[in-house]
Amino acid sequence: MADTVQVAAEASSRDPSVGLRAVRALRDLVERLEALQVDNARDQGWTWEQIAQQLGVTRQAVHKKYAGGRGLLRRKD
Amino acid sequence: MFERFTTEARQTVVLAQDQARRLRHAHIGTEHLLLALAQQEGTASATVLAAHGLTPQVIIDAITAYVGPDDLDAEALSTLGIDLAAVRTTVEATFGPGALHRRSPGRRESVPSGHIPFTPRARKVLELSLREALALEHRSIADGHILLGLLREGDGLAAKVVYDRGLEPDGVREDITSALTG
Repeated sequence: MADTVQVAAEASSRDPSVGLRAVRALRDLVERLEALQVDNARDQGWTWEQIAQQLGVTRQAVHKKYAGGRGLLRRKD
Repeated sequence: MFERFTTEARQTVVLAQDQARRLRHAHIGTEHLLLALAQQEGTASATVLAAHGLTPQVIIDAITAYVGPDDLDAEALSTLGIDLAAVRTTVEATFGPGALHRRSPGRRESVPSGHIPFTPRARKVLELSLREALALEHRSIADGHILLGLLREGDGLAAKVVYDRGLEPDGVREDITSALTG
């Protein structure tokens, strides 16, 4: 982990290749965490509606993104 | 077809699979074949590739630049002050090892295990390597013929790696052909 000064310098980099790469990395991380938490919620019996509410998106959006082909989790709600 | 492969050529296929798995890619593409060829030090193809500046590390860097590292980009996250190792530790403490790994839609497991399929293009390259061997009147398919197949195919990520380094495929082709026939 870089020290704070260096982090600040890089995070505010005007170099798009640094800034955009950071954004992409962050988005990838968010996607992983979201998938993990949605799985977890489904395993605990949450409905798509409840998950969507927490994520601040529509039920359709979250269902479309995560419900496809998931044999075990494809149940009516 | 594989029965006509030399030991090095078979090893190329095995290594390509290893590399695809290591990079967490769900397929074996032309890029993994190229990388596998470069990694077998002392073989004709690795020697020719290195002579043209295509070392394993150069190829890995090129691949991850094109397709994105399938695993998370710890270096880029650190520029935002996010310590990926710490995030991973926390998440894995709750959800178990590998919890942060990419999962493909429809499957729960993320890291490709066992058999990883070839892309149609990589399969084509292996067929082309047979044709290259036949054209040179060679009885077996060596690593060099796979390299010729890669260059012949011309559209995959492997070819892109070659082009983007400013290399002339024909130059590489000539070198490997003379190594094979010399």
